[in-house]
Amino acid sequence: MTQADWYLPGFCGMGLHLRLDGFRLVYLGIGVLMWGCSGLFSREYMAHYKRKLRYYGFFWATFVATAGVFLSADLYTTFIFFEIMSLTSYVWVAFDEKPESLEAAQTYLAVAVIGGMVMLMGLFLLSHLLGTLEIDRIPAAAAQAAAAGHQPELYAAGGLLLFGFGAKAGCFPLHIWLPKAHPVAPAPASALLSGILTKTGIFGIIVVSCGMLGGDRAWGFLVVCLGLVTMFLGALLAVFSINLKRTLACSSVSQIGFILTGIGMSCMLASAGENPSIAARGAFLHMVNHSLFKLVLFLCAGAVYMNLHRLDLNEIRGFGRRKPLLAFCFLMGALGLGGIPGWSGYVSKTLIHESIVEYGEMAGGVEVAAAAGAGGAGAGAEMAAAAGAAGTGAWGGLAGSPGFWTVAEWIFLFTGGMTVAYMLKLFFAIFVEVNQDPVRQAEYDGMSGRYMKPASTLALVVPAVLVPVMGLFPGVTMNRLADLGQGFFLAEGMEHGVHYFSLGNLKGGLVSVTIGGLVYGWVIRQWMMGKMPVAGEGASGQELSRGYLDRWPQALDLEHLLYRPVLGRLLPGIWGAVCGFVDRYVVSAPVSLFLAVSAVVCRAMDQWADGLILLARGTTHRQMRTKPREHQDRLARWLGQMMDRWLRFRLHLRGQDLPPDLLPSHVPGLVRLEQSIWRTGHLVEESFSFGLMLFCLGLCLTLGYLLLEFVRI
Amino acid sequence: MDQILLAVPALLPLAGGMGLLLASRSGHRKASYTKLKWYVMLITVLNSLVLLWLVFHAGVQDHMVLFRLYGALRVSFCLDGMGRVFAVLISVLWPLAVLYSFEYMKEEDRKGTFFAYYLMTYGVTAGIALAGNLITLYLFYEMLTLATFPLVLFPMTREAVRASRKYLYYSIGGAAFAFLGLVFVLTFSAIGSTDFRPGGMLDLALADSRKNTLLLMYVLAFFGFGVKAVVFPCHRWLPLATVAPTPVTALLHAVAVVKSGAFAILRLTYFSFGTEFLAGTWAQWAVMAAAMVTIAYGSTMAVKEVHWKRRLAYSTTSNLSYILLAASMMSGHGLAAALAHMVFHAFMKICSFFCAGAVMHQTGKTHVYELDGLARKMPVTFGCLTVASLSLVGIPPFAGFISKWNIAGAAFACGMTSGAVGGEAGVEVLTAGGGSGMLPQILGGIGGILPFAAVLVLLYSALMTAVYMLTVLVRAYVPAKVRAHMPEQAQAHVPAAEETAVGEAAGDPGWRMLVPLVVFAVVILGLGLYSQPLLSFLMEIGGDAA
Repeated sequence: MTQADWYLPGFCGMGLHLRLDGFRLVYLGIGVLMWGCSGLFSREYMAHYKRKLRYYGFFWATFVATAGVFLSADLYTTFIFFEIMSLTSYVWVAFDEKPESLEAAQTYLAVAVIGGMVMLMGLFLLSHLLGTLEIDRIPAAAAQAAAAGHQPELYAAGGLLLFGFGAKAGCFPLHIWLPKAHPVAPAPASALLSGILTKTGIFGIIVVSCGMLGGDRAWGFLVVCLGLVTMFLGALLAVFSINLKRTLACSSVSQIGFILTGIGMSCMLASAGENPSIAARGAFLHMVNHSLFKLVLFLCAGAVYMNLHRLDLNEIRGFGRRKPLLAFCFLMGALGLGGIPGWSGYVSKTLIHESIVEYGEMAGGVEVAAAAGAGGAGAGAEMAAAAGAAGTGAWGGLAGSPGFWTVAEWIFLFTGGMTVAYMLKLFFAIFVEVNQDPVRQAEYDGMSGRYMKPASTLALVVPAVLVPVMGLFPGVTMNRLADLGQGFFLAEGMEHGVHYFSLGNLKGGLVSVTIGGLVYGWVIRQWMMGKMPVAGEGASGQELSRGYLDRWPQALDLEHLLYRPVLGRLLPGIWGAVCGFVDRYVVSAPVSLFLAVSAVVCRAMDQWADGLILLARGTTHRQMRTKPREHQDRLARWLGQMMDRWLRFRLHLRGQDLPPDLLPSHVPGLVRLEQSIWRTGHLVEESFSFGLMLFCLGLCLTLGYLLLEFVRI
Repeated sequence: MDQILLAVPALLPLAGGMGLLLASRSGHRKASYTKLKWYVMLITVLNSLVLLWLVFHAGVQDHMVLFRLYGALRVSFCLDGMGRVFAVLISVLWPLAVLYSFEYMKEEDRKGTFFAYYLMTYGVTAGIALAGNLITLYLFYEMLTLATFPLVLFPMTREAVRASRKYLYYSIGGAAFAFLGLVFVLTFSAIGSTDFRPGGMLDLALADSRKNTLLLMYVLAFFGFGVKAVVFPCHRWLPLATVAPTPVTALLHAVAVVKSGAFAILRLTYFSFGTEFLAGTWAQWAVMAAAMVTIAYGSTMAVKEVHWKRRLAYSTTSNLSYILLAASMMSGHGLAAALAHMVFHAFMKICSFFCAGAVMHQTGKTHVYELDGLARKMPVTFGCLTVASLSLVGIPPFAGFISKWNIAGAAFACGMTSGAVGGEAGVEVLTAGGGSGMLPQILGGIGGILPFAAVLVLLYSALMTAVYMLTVLVRAYVPAKVRAHMPEQAQAHVPAAEETAVGEAAGDPGWRMLVPLVVFAVVILGLGLYSQPLLSFLMEIGGDAA
């Protein structure tokens, strides 16, 4: 198979590796088709919104990221584009900025971030287990690791990756974001969210289930079980839903379940040594089909919402009457999704159904062989060997029992029936029934012919026409697509072609349609519709009419029952309490204790030192009793008196005897002088310059001495 | 000539800062702000240019001895690979931070004092980057405390006094422990000095005789330097220290101070004790466990905290321990991852802090619950914050993802090898049947598990980071009136009276604040998209050192 590789070494840390080959080419094509149609449709849908720049910016950014995911050739590249895609598509969900869209966006972001982290963990484990994340090299490296006894780690890595990718794909029990996010996102965006963003999750699950753990029986069984549960519960939710886009979102969950079942079956068949291509082709074609159906259906829902700004089935009831084009497009999507022969969904569902039947028959063969005690032939023996190898007790037993596969087949058929039922519900509600409120119905009828612009019509009709074309000519269209895509599942070409329209295969489809009709007739029309007050301007408020009731128990909501309490309250609460406790007591308490102890010790030391000093001062270091200094003016006094006497003597010689009191005395002046000299001297003595002077003096003396010595020598 | 230049980046800002301090003491209080700005900018830019010139031109062998204390104890500068990384980091961040603080500090008093210490801190941090031996590092580490202490004290409120005292006590106390390590390294050094050598400088034969004592000293010194790197339980000063002006908290408490602590620990681990001596010992598990506890603790507390800057401070706590966790892997890859996260986190955290500062400056809002709808009014600021936040969470293609990927990779590699080694050691002990065999066996077991647990802790922390960063963003982008209708617990913190009384004039700040923000955001994105040359350079350093 031709392929083109594109390396970007060094980018984003480890370098990016993109590739274009069969599967990737098909999905790139689908991406372009989907973005093209939704983009075209957005022109009208978004005409009255503000912030168009934000919408279109993130619209195309998500396109680039999604294309990056589908083109990635190693899981590192996948992860990088996957995370970018999660964040850019967050803006779609939150775009309205209404309370409910913000809540949905919160859920979406939480699922995306947690899923991303878990996936990252898986990637760490994987890259250190295998030494490579190249999708091509993973199978061989994984086989080597498994042979080296690293099987449990491989399972752990696979489980983490399954969690991460499954969260995006909408696999139970991580589907919670889908039914919330779709009704609030703009319709073209929900077409993409449901049609192609969920498939990026599937992309990763394929790598894990068909490449890394390809041919692992227990793993395949796990994926099949998840697929069956997701498929059934999604369809159940859709049957109960009375909101157009919510129904479609739940239907997406259910269809993802079909795809997962196909992937799981491919893994199971490979483990039994069979050619897994029937299941792989089924899963791949269902991916492609589902992308197309959801594009058509969500754009139809967009056409409804763009005119009415309502999605509740009771309110939009009757909108589609006298709008044949819209009815045609919706019908194409609905019939395709319902798996009606002649539309493309039938082909892919038939393939997945066949794979379940085939494996069930083989399991039966093993049972028979074991019972007969004779070594069963061919496939049976291999099966037994595989069962022995996987032999994990009850699981192996369950996966090997034909009873389980009969149940699985019936779950499959019954879910197909429910699909038919909820699509019937939608179709009848919108296109056949008349609104309870006659005024409103008249208004709706008046919209015929001018509810959609030509460009939007084109965007809707092109994918809608593709569905029956592919369904009617599976040989030229779908088989070729499958040939391109199955290489990615590591499946070879089929040994024998499947006759899609043979009686045996048609039987399964007809069983589903019958179940669908019964469910619709008995459950939906009888139990889920009932008398309810008529809403609307034209109603008196007293009339009762048959409308759609919301019969789903409100309390049964996984998110509000389990996830939000645990993640939002329990975890931060417990951790916060632990950290708070640690902060308060474990850290602070020792510090306080240390401070207290050291305070006591310091105080004690203080006292002790004080005591010592007191003792010393009392005994050894008693201060000398010094006399007050009185003699500092003795010299001045003596000198002054001498000078006084001398003066008197001179006066006496001149014969001028004066009484002593009249003579001016020198004593006070001299005393002042002496005191100031004494004080200055004291200051000088204590001063630094005096020290320096002494130092200089000493230095001079030393130098002089040295000089003297020098001279003497 | 070059050799003398080596001392310039450390001494020039110190001198400049002291000059400024003297000038503002001696009555030039009324000197115009413009002159001050020119002076500060001139010195900062000049110093950055010298530093960058040195980074690209100085030889690895160049050694500049500033002075000798005694014998082999000398204060010397050199610039090896790791020093270069830190030097480039600070020389890029500082001028931008200075530019930012020009506008932020416009209305404050005592600008002279502020910028004086801001400059001096630059010199001291450059000294840490350039330090050629443990003594020099220790000297500048102590000086860092003294230079930044007045900055924490700057608001002069009761709170600031309390915070700065706590900061001082913690830092000085920690340095004392670090000093112990220094003495022991010197005693057991194979080269008679403490000059940094890739792979350690211990005389292994001598050191093995006192192995446990030395390991104890390593752990003590780790926690000693860890005070600045906010390792649990020495972390309590950081959230308090957010009272300082935002340019200080951003640059010092998200970049310079805490990174100096981490840098010192890297020097201690890889260039002093050496990985050969430490790898696989109980000391490694002890420091690894401490880093893990800090990561979990910091990110949890950040979720609980509603004061925005304190929340960021807790985020710093946890992110710094990412660096230490990577370092504690004791491998070349670990050192490279640690350095990568050191660089990337610096940009992410300074960008987030500056955004918080811009909001505080423009609107006076300090708590997370007050930010409702602000992004409309300050689009550029919050755009940059978005980039920084996503990068902190570790979402590709932003830079944070790459360093986290490398840290986890190093942890896995460490777990693989040490698990095997530990297991073998355990088996040996078992077969030898030694009486005291239990402890090594247990330690070996722990050594095998801890690195894997570290990856789990990283993921837990990434999740918490998503919660505490993205809630800020969602609040900011979603108008308050919509939020008021939300039925969920999301509005638990919204006080009823807190209507959108945002200052009507609030908008993006001036260019001086915006330019650094935009530059940081661009760098984060650019490094996230293409960081191959940097990573291979870091790997080279790691390969040399381990």
